[in-house]
This record gives sequence, C-alpha cells and structure tokens, in this order.
Amino acid sequence: MGVIKSKKAFLAFLLPGLLFYILAVFYPIEESIRLSFMKWGGIGDKEFVGFQNYITMFHDKVFYTAFINNLIYLVIVVSMQLAVGLFFAILLTYMTRHVTLVKTLYYVPCIITTVAITQLFRSIYSTEPMGLLNQFLQAAGLDGMVTSWLAEVSTALAAVSIPEGWRFTGMYMVIFYAALVSLDPSVYEAAKVDGASELQILFKIKMPLIKEIILLTLTMCLTGALRGFDIPFLLTSGGPGNASELMSTYMYKKAFSSNQYGYGSALAVFIIVESILAVYLIRKVFTTKEEREIREMERMQRRQRRREGR
Amino acid sequence: MKKRLVSVLLAVGLTAGLAAGCGAKDKESKSEEDGVTTVTWMTSRPVDGEIDQVMHEIADQYSEEKGGKWKIEFETTADRPSYLQKLKTLIAGKNMPDIIDIDADPYCQELVDAGMLVDVKKFLEENDKYDDFYPIALKYQEFTDGTMYTLPLEYHVEMTWYNKEIFDKYELTPPATMDEWLNVCKTLKDNGVTPISVDGVDRWPVQRYLAMLPFRESGNDFIINLRDGKAKMDSDTGREAAEFMAEIGQYFNDGFAATDYATAQSMFLDGKSAMYYIGDWEIAAMQEAYEQGKIDYFYLPATDGGKTKANEFCVNSGIGMAFNAETFDEKTKDFVLYVIENYGKLYAAKQQMSPIRTELSDEVEYSDLYLKIQDDMQKTGENFLKPWDTYLDSNTNTVMQDNLLLLASGDLTVDEFCRLVDNSIAENAN
Repeated sequence: MGVIKSKKAFLAFLLPGLLFYILAVFYPIEESIRLSFMKWGGIGDKEFVGFQNYITMFHDKVFYTAFINNLIYLVIVVSMQLAVGLFFAILLTYMTRHVTLVKTLYYVPCIITTVAITQLFRSIYSTEPMGLLNQFLQAAGLDGMVTSWLAEVSTALAAVSIPEGWRFTGMYMVIFYAALVSLDPSVYEAAKVDGASELQILFKIKMPLIKEIILLTLTMCLTGALRGFDIPFLLTSGGPGNASELMSTYMYKKAFSSNQYGYGSALAVFIIVESILAVYLIRKVFTTKEEREIREMERMQRRQRRREGR
Repeated sequence: MKKRLVSVLLAVGLTAGLAAGCGAKDKESKSEEDGVTTVTWMTSRPVDGEIDQVMHEIADQYSEEKGGKWKIEFETTADRPSYLQKLKTLIAGKNMPDIIDIDADPYCQELVDAGMLVDVKKFLEENDKYDDFYPIALKYQEFTDGTMYTLPLEYHVEMTWYNKEIFDKYELTPPATMDEWLNVCKTLKDNGVTPISVDGVDRWPVQRYLAMLPFRESGNDFIINLRDGKAKMDSDTGREAAEFMAEIGQYFNDGFAATDYATAQSMFLDGKSAMYYIGDWEIAAMQEAYEQGKIDYFYLPATDGGKTKANEFCVNSGIGMAFNAETFDEKTKDFVLYVIENYGKLYAAKQQMSPIRTELSDEVEYSDLYLKIQDDMQKTGENFLKPWDTYLDSNTNTVMQDNLLLLASGDLTVDEFCRLVDNSIAENAN
C-alpha cells in the first residue's frame, strides 16, 4: 500500500480493471435482478410482476429437487477435487523422480474441452456398445450391476457429478503440491527430531500451514460446483425426468427453452445469493477466534493511526 | 472522499454499460454495401445435407444471375435446441435475421402476433404458387386457425422400420393394429430380443409414441384441445395414451434415455433391435439393408373404430422457412420465388421427397425404396399426425418430454404424469 501514495494514481491504475468488472460482472447481475421482477417471453414488452417469480420459485417442486441435487453434486465434486487432489499432492511430495511428468499427466483433463470430456464419459457409462465401466463390472463378475448409468434415475446424478470432479482433481493437486513444497522444511524436520510421526506432521503442522490455500481452493471449488452446468447439461440435460437437474440447468431451461426470462432470472439471482452465502460461511468457519481478535486489533490500530495523522 | 469517488465511478460504469446494451437495438440485419445486397438465413438444417446443398446451389446460381450484386449468408446450427436458443436470444435482442427456420409452434405464433413474420400463405397466393405445393406439405405448416407463415422445404412420412430376419425367425408379421404391435414386441422380448431401439436423448422420438393412440382416436383434436385447456391429459384419451407409452416403453432398449440418434439407428441396422421408428429422411441409411431384403417398414398400425385410417399417419414437411416482415422487400421476394421455381427439381434429384410438385429427373436413377415411398406419399389420407411439440407451449413441452422418459422407463406412474402435464398446461396456457 505504501508504494503508491497519490490517491489519483491509485485510481488510474484501478480504473480499467474496475470498468471491466462492472461491465462483465456487475452489469449482467444488475440486469438479472431487474429481469427477475418481470414477466417476459423474449418478444414484446416486459411486464412488472413484483415478487411473483420468487413466489413461484418457492412453490416449484422441481426447484427443490434441483436444489437438493445441487447439494449432492456439490459434495461429490468438492470431495473428489479437494480430498483426492490433496491426497495425490501429499503422495507426490514423497516422490523423488518424474514428479513433473505425473503433474503434467494429471493436469491434462483440465485442458481438454468439456464436450470431449462429455463424449468420453458417455462412452464409459454406456451399455450400447458396452462401455468401459460396464465391461469392468462384467470382468469382475458383477453382471448384476451393469446398467446404463446415465439413464437410471438412481445413478444419473452421481454419473454426471463424477466427470466434473475427475476433471479438476489434477488442478487442485498441482495447487496443493505447490503449497506443500513451499513450506519451510526446517519446521517439520524439527518436529521429526522431536519424534513426531509422519501423520502427526501432516495433520498438525503441514495442514495448518497451508490453511489459507485450502480456504482459497475450497472457495473456488464450492462456487464452481454451485455454478456447475456444462457437463451435466451435455450428458443428460437434467434427465431422466429431473433426476440430475441442477440449479443452473434448470435456470437455463426455464430462461432459454421455456422462454421464461423473468423466472429464469429469479433462479439466477438465487444462485448468486447462494454462492455469496456459501463463500461467507466458509470464511466464517475458517476464521478462528484468535484471528478475529487479531484483525479487530489491527483495525483499531489503523483507526488510531489515521486519527493521529490528521 | 474515496467513497464518493468510487460511487461516482460505479455510476459512470453503469451508465456506460446501459448505453452499450441499448446501442445494439433496432439494427437492421440486412446490409447493403457497395450495391451488394446481403441476406442472412439463419438455418437449422444438417450441414451438407440435401437441403443445404440444394439451397447453396440455388443461391449461387441466383447470385450469378444478379451479377454478384446479391448474396446470401448461411448461418447454420444443425442441433435444434442450440439453434432455437440462439434464435430466441437474437430475437429477444431485437436482431432477427432476414430469413429464419421455425416450426409453426406457439413461439412462432407469438412472433406472428407481434407482426414480425411475413404471411407466407398470402404471398404464395398472390404469386400463384400455392398450388405448386402438395396440399399436406402446406397444411402441416399451418396454425390451427388456418393461417400460414412458414414455407416448407421438405416433405416426409414417418414409419417403423423392422428387421425381416428377426421377424421371420419368430414367425412374426408386420402388425396391422396397435394390439398386434404390442404382441409382436412381447414375443420378441420373451425371446431375449430388444424389440425397439429409441433415441431418448432427443426426446421427440419418444413423444411420437405418446401421440399415436390419440391420433388414431381423434386425429389432432385431442392435442389441440389439450393445448387450449379444453381437454385433460387425465381423461380417457389422455390416460390411454400414457398407458400405451408405459406399456410400449418396456420394449425400448435398455438405457434408451441416454441413447442418442446415431446409436439407436445403428443398433437397428446392426440387428441388435428389431424395430426402429424414423422418417424417410433416413432413406439413404436404410437403402442398402432394404435392397438386401433384410429390412422393410410398416406405417402406424390402426385401431378399431378409430377416426383416422391406416393410410393416415405422421406426414410432415419439417421445419419451415420464415421471413422477417421488416426486411422482406422486392429483392427478397424475387429470390424466394426463384427458390420455389427451382427447388423441387434439384431437391428430388437428390432422391429426396419434394414438397413442391415436380417431375422426377430423367438423369437420376431412383431407387426402388424411393419410388415406393414416393408412391405411398401420393396415397396418404387427408389427416396427418402433427408432432405434439409443435402444439404445446415450450414450458409444457419441456415438462412433458422430461417426464415422458420416466413414464416410459416405469419410473413414473400414469397418474403422476397426467397430473404434471395438466398442471403445466393450466399454468402456461394463454
């Protein structure tokens, strides 16, 4: 902060980014909120209907299905991306050779386009011709479990969640790995001398040290999952029935297939609120009492300084 | 001070955004630069399919005749849902292209009501072209009130193709009634054969099965009344349709909900399913197996005491071409008339059924299958099954199609299905 003293220069540097943010993020959100109070089919005039769209939303059974589905999707995606990503990253820290090769290979799914991933998983899940997963089950003697994973009501949701989780596992692995190797070895080497086991070092020293990174990835991952759309939409478009309907696929269908732009926008606003709420909750949970006290003290000190400066 | 500056900036940014949003408004999409007129056709026909080829040929010819002063730009999105989404977004943003593809569905009716489309019936009559078309091809494009705003470029019948070898093996004959059809399916299933392969991903093929019994019973009356809120899904006719759906659904291939168009078709052609419902537009795919005597087809079976006869089934002229009322000037009119004059012959030469009456070309050797279907089409009755998705409002259609898959796979009861459809119609019918 001390580098740029002049407030004008400060703003000049901030302006391009701020303008872009306003145009690309803030303006569409504002438009969505405005539209969510309207009834509009895409042709003709918009009709102001007050909170009607929101009332409809809270009486809509599919909305609740989509909400619950979204939570299940969230749990699957987040646990795959973070837990598996972290696990791989820890394993990777014990590797001494070919680390870069492994990192690159695990990162590949992130750069494959969504449509290709969708096709990949469509083939893996299919029964006609027999896909990889079903072939594997047959080979393992589990013929009874062979099914069309995307068409079965009970499996469709998990089947559309897994590709999304799988896809970014490598990315989170790389982030965690970078965090883990950047730790100062002397800290846990000292613990090792004191007789701490590997597990103790991991959970009592390494994990707390990379807490900030975990918070960041959790935020990215959660908001990503709350907005999850492309893979589920391409694989089943919410079906069969509404068995794999997510908030975002439902919003898209309402706005663009059913031409209910107002209702679609109400759903979109709900997704925004939900995401903000989720981030707020994570921050709250992750901020310990001590940190809150420290922050409070810092704030008071700043205020003090400002007063003295005047 | 800082706070005020930020809020001023926010306000400026917001106004700039609003201005940017308004700037694109009311732009005419037809452009005339250096005396060259460019017309945009936003289309949803298969890329390099017969229609695409013929229309390109005609456009090139026409452009040449006009000395390059006229040009058409094709913007093709073959995938129908994405096409419709793009189209609706463009129209919502007040950027309707000069020529579009659209079914005579409720959305199209909204465009008509807003005065955005050209009255094609009037246009054809004024220019003496109305009788150049097959009556059913035009009738299919009509709204229920008899007005017509879309021009057909194709003409189809839909039928169930069956595998003769499988039928012979189990001593089955093509069914003449719906009950016989279900019996055929049952025999096949009891013998471990997949009776019907269905493309559930696209949903409309499943919806056809729901429409079959009501069509036999009352033509298109039931669906029209259902749409208008005068009939309920939870009525005798509606329940019968849903029960038929649930019954025939058990004869669909496993996992049909996740089976796409190409897979369903190749299952049938590879002999992995005994029957497959599709229209004559797949004639090229069926050709070889038909010539080898491996497959044949039958039309929609009849019912006792039904209103429609055995020679009446799903006949359609596909998605139509519609014209932007704002940009439909003399030049575009001239082009459309040119298309009508030349299209039939060129299209039929590609072994396709033309909606415009035409002599068959001498230079093309038409296949037996083509000639047989063409002959069938001359003999169809005056009723034809019009797909339900062209009648229903898009919201009800989504609800129906989503839940149809569950009904067919036995995951939803007939009661629940009827209730969902009726509720949606009550909410969305105007």
